Amino acid sequence: MNLATRKLIQILIAAVLCFSALRGYGQDAKLQLGNLDKLTDKAARVTDVTLDGSLLQFAVNLIEKVDADDKDVAQLQSIIKNLKGIYIKSFEFDEASQYSKGDVDAIRSQLTSPRWSKIVQSMEKRRNEYDEIYVLKNGDKVGGVVILVAEARELTVVNLVGEVPMDKVASLERHLAPGEKHSDKQKQQKKESGHDQE
Amino acid sequence: MHFSEDDLREALKRKDPGEGFTQRVMARVEQAKSEGTKQAATKKPNGKFLAWWTVRPAWTVAVVAVLLLAFGIGGYQYSEYRHAEEMRIARARQQQLQQEAERARDQAILALEIARAKLNHVLQHAQLQAEPNDKIRRERL
Repeated sequence: MNLATRKLIQILIAAVLCFSALRGYGQDAKLQLGNLDKLTDKAARVTDVTLDGSLLQFAVNLIEKVDADDKDVAQLQSIIKNLKGIYIKSFEFDEASQYSKGDVDAIRSQLTSPRWSKIVQSMEKRRNEYDEIYVLKNGDKVGGVVILVAEARELTVVNLVGEVPMDKVASLERHLAPGEKHSDKQKQQKKESGHDQE
Repeated sequence: MHFSEDDLREALKRKDPGEGFTQRVMARVEQAKSEGTKQAATKKPNGKFLAWWTVRPAWTVAVVAVLLLAFGIGGYQYSEYRHAEEMRIARARQQQLQQEAERARDQAILALEIARAKLNHVLQHAQLQAEPNDKIRRERL
């Protein structure tokens, strides 16, 4: 093997390492939650949300178009526009101890990187409740958030990827939940029908 | 039967063809010529059609015009059908995208609602746990 070939191989290896490091840097805010899928059969209520890429962009565009004047929606927009992905798995059980410690540890093990910081931990061992909030730092900004709620009859993992304004999320209005959320037209109709009843 | 020399002479002697012999010959020649061309014309393929074409130019133009009109209308209707079909597909696609977007929006709102609820839940728990510790600390101080 001559010197030129050896140099070329070294450059290629360096490029591959750089690429994989960069790829990992961009993606490490997203957790692998696939190991929790087995709990679906045991749970009484399952909420599984996976929103990223084009779907999230769809949502952002639609929110911008439909309810541009709504104050609550403006707040929602400001939160969602910088997000790259929203992943939620939530299981509610009728009986306690339906999931194992290993299930939770599999999540925690992904949060051991020094870039993740546990900012809140609430433990109540008697009631078997372990609630934690982790934040991924990207310089001065928040690159991702994980909210882990492991209680006797509930296991919830919320994984927000991207710039997450925590204060805005915490102060979101309750009525934004789908089903309760109406478009301006529907609101107007409701108001009108309310006036009619009066 | 025997012929005498006189009989042969009588038979072969010159006879007068009568008046208008030349005209009659020329008429027969003309007749033969025209019959010859007619026969040749009938042998050619599409001869009748070509003959009709030349004989009835107005009809020919009319037929061509009708054919052109029919093709034109047919083409226009086909293009209209294609356009309508394309529009229908585009509308269906747009409707599908709209539905997907609405579903995505609902999911986003649901996700943020859950995130809000869980965030506040954890913070509340952490605060409740911190409060008794604060009381104890204050009492000690």
